[in-house]
Amino acid sequence: MELELVRHLARSASQNLEAHRRRIDDLNVYPVPDGDTGTNLVLTLRSIVEALDASTATDSEAVAKDVTRAALMGARGNSGVIFSQIVRGFVEVLGEHEGISSALLSRAFRGASDTAYRAVKRPVEGTMLTVIREMAEESEKKVHRRVAPDDLLRAVLAAGEDAVARTPELLDVLRNAGVVDAGGAGLVEIARGMVHGATGEELPEAPVEAEALGFDAIHQELSEYRYCTVFVIEGESLDKDELEAELEKIGDSLLVVGDATALKVHVHTDDPGHALMLGTAVGVVEGVEIANMHHQTAQREERLLEGGTPSALSTLETGLVAVCPGRGNRRLFESLGATRVIEGGQSMNPSAKDIVDAVEAVPTDDVLVLPNNSNVILTAEQAASMSGKKVRVIPSKSVQAGFAAMGRFVPTESVDENERAMLEELEAAATGEITVASRDASLDGVDIREGAYLGLVDDVAVVSGSDLEVVLDEVVDRVLAGGQGFLTILTGEDAPPLDGLVASLEERHPDLEVEIHEGGQPHYPLLLVAQ
Amino acid sequence: MIAETERGRIAISPDAITQIVGSAAAESYGVVALAGRGRLSRLLPWGIKKGVDVDLRADGLAIELRVVVEHGLKLAEVAETVGSRVRYELERMVGLPIASLEVHIERVRSH
Repeated sequence: MELELVRHLARSASQNLEAHRRRIDDLNVYPVPDGDTGTNLVLTLRSIVEALDASTATDSEAVAKDVTRAALMGARGNSGVIFSQIVRGFVEVLGEHEGISSALLSRAFRGASDTAYRAVKRPVEGTMLTVIREMAEESEKKVHRRVAPDDLLRAVLAAGEDAVARTPELLDVLRNAGVVDAGGAGLVEIARGMVHGATGEELPEAPVEAEALGFDAIHQELSEYRYCTVFVIEGESLDKDELEAELEKIGDSLLVVGDATALKVHVHTDDPGHALMLGTAVGVVEGVEIANMHHQTAQREERLLEGGTPSALSTLETGLVAVCPGRGNRRLFESLGATRVIEGGQSMNPSAKDIVDAVEAVPTDDVLVLPNNSNVILTAEQAASMSGKKVRVIPSKSVQAGFAAMGRFVPTESVDENERAMLEELEAAATGEITVASRDASLDGVDIREGAYLGLVDDVAVVSGSDLEVVLDEVVDRVLAGGQGFLTILTGEDAPPLDGLVASLEERHPDLEVEIHEGGQPHYPLLLVAQ
Repeated sequence: MIAETERGRIAISPDAITQIVGSAAAESYGVVALAGRGRLSRLLPWGIKKGVDVDLRADGLAIELRVVVEHGLKLAEVAETVGSRVRYELERMVGLPIASLEVHIERVRSH
């Protein structure tokens, strides 16, 4: 074990780990979910790199001593302490000889695992400990006995990856949070950096760290381009930067995430064909979605321009303007008698002028407005005061609440009578929604992991987890707490299949009547309302 | 011990709290044993309770932990991990405020 080689390996490990630091921080739920595992490991490894830079060790044993000491002194946090023991056990064995062989490496992995396990009274499986143990076990397999050190390292790395993937099977907190163990994932990245340093292979490009800007956020950006284009490219050595540079020339709201084998692309452009061509030039394109962002806006304008045909509608007392997102929801509100529907909601709040225009276009003098979003209620009230007509705002905070109120709307009744009935319905309705968390957070006492389902009831977070059925059951139980017998579910544009879930819902609530409609709203896979 | 929670009063025995604390400490990395407190208890077989002392005061739980840590570990980091883990588990499972939490490293075990 030469100082130069160890320096090189430590740097390579450190470099790879740093590229994954944020991802590992985000995984961290055990033993305490404070999101610092990646950072702690990086700092621990850095102190080893620095100590090696300062080291003057001339033989293997002295190098081992310096590394052990640096790991001990630099250990940060729980994962850093475990890692310091792994390092200690590993280099103590390597320090016995000057050269490195497969047999020696195998003993070193065993030493690392044993040393790590020795330092805890009750080892918890599904953690870094499991990962180093399985790596050691792999290295001891007969099939690797006569292989070159490089090949042994690759096999051990693969075993480590496999062990990390299985950590949720061993540790409930991981399974509940829908993540793998952070420390184990960090250990594998360190090992990967070392293996690639040893074999001279280039490191695979680290996946882009999830920035605050997710696909959802970027959808909300205004764009001068017409088509929202999303697709996945699969290939072998995809160059993210190069693709980004090319796509930048033809559009905006650009987001390219992934690694050398798979990239997800999101771009707003006037030329989706060209974007796809850039994809097919470097790999296989899949999951293509192209949406005309101007279409819905244009539709709305058309409706407003058309105006009404008063003669046919002369018996109508009350008109109704509803604000809602999604094609399905628009159809639902129209079929329930809404005179005008304005596309909008969470990600696209209409202006007061949009609402005034719609109110003016309604062929009646009395108009009800369903804002269907807590952010739109004020705008709607402002619009009501701006319009020359008699306008009442029914303060529906969500699409599903508005949907419940809509059931009582009768266009041939007076505005007062409609308002009374709809407010009554709004009061009695319990609403819930299920969305996908865009980042880690703690909300109303619920710990939420990025990418997990999040269930809210009357705007309060009540449950989060990776299992949709669990989240749905909890939300349904809560919205039905008032003994309602009717449940409506509006599915979003990215709703998962519900077949099994609804069957089990009906089994759990035999007297419940469940109705499902395709709402098509973005961001919320499921909206629920109980009446 | 009576915990006043949103859902009413819950009685939690000191034994249960001792067990939660002992368990969290024993699973903390670096801790190879929980210490006994007196000469007499050192003669008893190892058990979870011995390194843990729990007291309920007006301002919350007062906890003293005595642990044995493996030689060659950074003691400050181990103590920190034990402390935060015990705190986390108690808050998660019991919900009582913690007035004080002391982690004593009683011994370092070397081979």
